Amino acid sequence: MAIPRRYFFRLVALAILLVFTAFFFVPMVWLFLAPTKTDGQLLSHSPFAFGSLGTLAHTFHRIVTYNGDSLLIWLKNSAIYSFGGTALAILAAIPAGYGLALTQFIGRRALLAITLVVMIMPATALVLPLFLEMDKIGLYGTIWALILPFGFFPFGVYLAYIYFSSTIPKDLLAAARIDGAGEWRVFRYIALPLARPIVALVGFFAFVASWNNFFLPFVMTYDNSKYPLQIGLQQLIGSTASFNPANFSAGSSVVVLHRPDLAMAVIIAVAPVLIVFLFAQRALVSGMLAGATKE
Amino acid sequence: MATVTFEDATRIYPKSDRPAVDELNLEVHDGELLVLVGPSGCGKTTTLRMLAGLEHVDEGAILIDGKDVVKLPPRDRDIAMVFQNYALYPHMDVAQNMGFALRMAGVSKVEIAERVRAAAKILDIVEFLERKPRQLSGGQRQRVAMGRAIVRQPRVFLMDEPLSNLDAKLRVATRAEIAGLQRQLGVTTLYVTHDQVEAMTMGDRVAVMKDGLLQQCDTPRALYADPVNAFVAGFIGSPAMNLLQGTVEAGGVRLASAVIPVAGGVPKAVGEAVTVGLRPESLSLAPAGDGLPVIVTIVEELGAEAFVHAQLADKTADAVKANIIARAESLAAPAKGDLIHLHVKEGSMLFFDAQSGDRIASRS
Repeated sequence: MAIPRRYFFRLVALAILLVFTAFFFVPMVWLFLAPTKTDGQLLSHSPFAFGSLGTLAHTFHRIVTYNGDSLLIWLKNSAIYSFGGTALAILAAIPAGYGLALTQFIGRRALLAITLVVMIMPATALVLPLFLEMDKIGLYGTIWALILPFGFFPFGVYLAYIYFSSTIPKDLLAAARIDGAGEWRVFRYIALPLARPIVALVGFFAFVASWNNFFLPFVMTYDNSKYPLQIGLQQLIGSTASFNPANFSAGSSVVVLHRPDLAMAVIIAVAPVLIVFLFAQRALVSGMLAGATKE
Repeated sequence: MATVTFEDATRIYPKSDRPAVDELNLEVHDGELLVLVGPSGCGKTTTLRMLAGLEHVDEGAILIDGKDVVKLPPRDRDIAMVFQNYALYPHMDVAQNMGFALRMAGVSKVEIAERVRAAAKILDIVEFLERKPRQLSGGQRQRVAMGRAIVRQPRVFLMDEPLSNLDAKLRVATRAEIAGLQRQLGVTTLYVTHDQVEAMTMGDRVAVMKDGLLQQCDTPRALYADPVNAFVAGFIGSPAMNLLQGTVEAGGVRLASAVIPVAGGVPKAVGEAVTVGLRPESLSLAPAGDGLPVIVTIVEELGAEAFVHAQLADKTADAVKANIIARAESLAAPAKGDLIHLHVKEGSMLFFDAQSGDRIASRS
């Protein structure tokens, strides 16, 4: 019995989608299940088997109390660096994008072109010169060495530029100017309230970039108490027996971590990004501009 | 109350060699509603935006109450503007929209609330004060935009095609309402439209622009009766004035095969080309042999009256392709394809230079 053509293509498409879904979904399922098992069970049980809640609690306790609450210290550091960096990025990128999109000044086009060019440049390329700079001005080893660099966020500037130039009608700003608002108040009372979606988007990207940044804090920090989570995770890998068997000879006093502990740490590291995303998401989808002008 | 004066005001857009507004001289009297009208691209909106301070003035001056405002930013000009697309602040409710200018001026909250309510009453939008613009219909948004302008009690109102986004019926109603409101408030108003009917019905005076040049500024009646050139003659009036190519003859003017007598003659040499302007209501059905023979192409029936579209019957003459529109009593209207004769009412013809389009003689 022949399958009709239209069903055939639908089935093929469905099969392809299912294969890819499984391909990308399986590692995540494995990751979320890993902390429920012991290191031994991780190897002996099925990859999709659920261990026990007791093991999960135990794993959680082990990783959180590891090396004198190290994980919590790193979490706190990461939060300070990321929220600070994000605030600075928004503070700089939103007005910059507005200026590029809706005002006229000499060198505007050149600035826009430069923004695009530096956007393509990888952030890691600037880490070494930044290190030298921070060292010279005496900020090396302080939190400013990890926050100030995020004031330079050309991607955010460009996003804000696109948003302002495409969604805010110029007549709206003209109306505010006629209504007696100066340039600052036009921005403060008209453009900024309408820019909530882009503030959320730029904030989200800046937060993720800062949270996931490894190389900059790797260079700029030298002390366990200053490490953000990404550097901390690297430390944890170094303390995991199965990844570094040579380091853990019998009788060593160092607390040994196992792979489920590491999986738990990774989940804890990802959670804040998810939470920030959920908050940003709500602002992103608000249809603020409906009804401004009649199209 | 204020007067507005344009003195050789010129605007040349960057990368353009032709001025968008060319040495405009115009005075808006105190309390007057002056309508700027013209086809798109004629410079009328640019003129308005120059007065608002949204457009740079390259040369000349613009005076409000005798004081040059060219160098002042918009907020220091004490003007209010109604935009074509209304430009309401979408994140503020109606009351906040209307009170924004007062808030910027540092007026107390209590007074803002009072004045907003008073303006809302005039415009009958009190019930919408707490709504956001997106919850309003087009007509309601238009009223809010008007309200935002009147609550300020400015020296001058600027209106940039405020009715063009409304449907036809609402437009006619709002037209009369705005004109009435303007007279009631007595605020000097510059009103821009491309619709000559709107201009004629609303304006105390109407200024006709074309290609950045002011053509004529006068009362609606005078523009209709005494246009200074063929452009104004053709632009003002609906349906438009018939503009036909003719030749001067002794004691009259020749249109195709017919010679229409002109009392006092045409002040041009015999044999010269001339453009003849005829309003549709100056043409009436005549018995055969009298007047202009034409063939009816379309009859527009409007009920009380009918407009007869026709072409000159004489196929041999040049420039006979011109469409002629005549007004007729509805009952007496001819049928399509009929050969009819049109009588030209005495003294109703206007003459324009065939090349420049300038008016060459008074009515005859």
